Amino acid sequence: MTTALHAQQVWFAYPRHEPVLRAVSLTIPAGKHTVIMGPSGTGKTTLLRVLAGILKPSRGTITVFDEPLAGRSQRQLSSLIGYIPQQLGLVRNLSALDNVLMGALGRLGDAQTLLGIFPRAEIDAAHGALDMMGIDHKSDEQVFHLSGGERQRVAIARTLLQRPRLVIADEFASDLDLVLAYEILGRIRSAAEKNHITFIMSMHRIGLARKFGDEVLAMENGAIVQGFIGNEYLETKSAEASA
Amino acid sequence: MRPSFFVPLMVAAFLAASLAHLGLFDWQRLTRGVRNLGILGGEMVPPDLTILPTAAAALWETVEMSFAGTLLGFIAALPLSVLGTRNLFANWLSSLARFVAASIRTIPVLLWAIVFVILVGLGPLAGTFGIAAYTVGYLAKIYADLFEGTDPEIIEAVQSTGASKLQLVRYVIVPETANAILAQVLFMLEYNIRASSVLGFVGAGGLGLVIQIYLQSLDYRRLATVLLLVLAIVLVMDGLSAWLRKRFLLSTQGT
Repeated sequence: MTTALHAQQVWFAYPRHEPVLRAVSLTIPAGKHTVIMGPSGTGKTTLLRVLAGILKPSRGTITVFDEPLAGRSQRQLSSLIGYIPQQLGLVRNLSALDNVLMGALGRLGDAQTLLGIFPRAEIDAAHGALDMMGIDHKSDEQVFHLSGGERQRVAIARTLLQRPRLVIADEFASDLDLVLAYEILGRIRSAAEKNHITFIMSMHRIGLARKFGDEVLAMENGAIVQGFIGNEYLETKSAEASA
Repeated sequence: MRPSFFVPLMVAAFLAASLAHLGLFDWQRLTRGVRNLGILGGEMVPPDLTILPTAAAALWETVEMSFAGTLLGFIAALPLSVLGTRNLFANWLSSLARFVAASIRTIPVLLWAIVFVILVGLGPLAGTFGIAAYTVGYLAKIYADLFEGTDPEIIEAVQSTGASKLQLVRYVIVPETANAILAQVLFMLEYNIRASSVLGFVGAGGLGLVIQIYLQSLDYRRLATVLLLVLAIVLVMDGLSAWLRKRFLLSTQGT
């Protein structure tokens, strides 16, 4: 089994604050969907931002597909890692299609893109990604006018156009109702299989984690809870919830 | 004393002291002023409309100066404000850009007009450059602050697609702040039309020269016509910018 991401004894602290991440070590298998669960305020978002190369760890090493993360620019990382923040990070004044096309910015030069010119192939690919998420009929709509679920689809389509090998998404589909969340996560699964993408998502809803996660990691107080294997954490938590 | 009373009390004390020093409590002088206002008002009516063609030509020059000056200033302010965006560029570079903008802004528009009268001679060109200079200083600061306020999550998300800084400006920062960019440039245009009506005082063209002549010759009925024209153009500008706002800004309301 190949490893998509490996973190070894990763610590992180904001300046003059207590550490948010304490000696986190984890291995994410390639081609699987790993869900990170845990109560809010436990450091899930910080962990994902460190794994995505947005924050630099205070200590510890991270490798992505056997290459070290440290010292690489976001542009260099963009062909490896896609990142979707909790609020999705879409530009509201632009259309769905424009937002998706931003996924291609990393491999296109300044000169043409500053004039708003994208190669035909990229535009076709952007429509394809929107279509895969079931939202291509709204490609010309401003993101402002889209619903929460539609925005999630656009955010995924942008990441698909970026063509990374690993996608890290923070609290994805968390505010959606279950039926809609299942549908979108199902589409992500088939898109991921087709494009050989590994997913890491943080979630706090057990039902979604059970549905989506091949692997589940539990986090508490800035550390990965050791001793849980596979879906054991889910069983414990759902037993607690129903008790 | 509770601190919540301290600040208002200090402000009130300083206000009273300033007003006393500036002569507001000289009642004799104030009553004379009110009487004069009546006389001045009386001498202004009816406005002398025979000078309308002269005044209208001068007014048009003022509008041209304001429009051209505002747009030139806007175009120059954009790159300067991008450089002044601290979360995009190195600290020394954005500080330098902000320092340049602050230095330009320190000089009031009337002084800029004088500087350009010296540089390019009497006439509306000096006024246009004066307006452009002041506009750069003002907009560059406003826009830099605006750009810095862009939702960091969006910047992070698009940065992780590998976008360059220029691409970030083009695809995130400008679209996210487009409403405020437009609103500020319209505000600046209105402001410049009012401001440029006095630039003629220093020989920088436009309506100011006409105003100065009528003021100095105590020709208040003609002055009244000019002031009515300024009022008219300001009202027209208000209406125009309200229409533009509705036309371009409404589509993004509501999230």
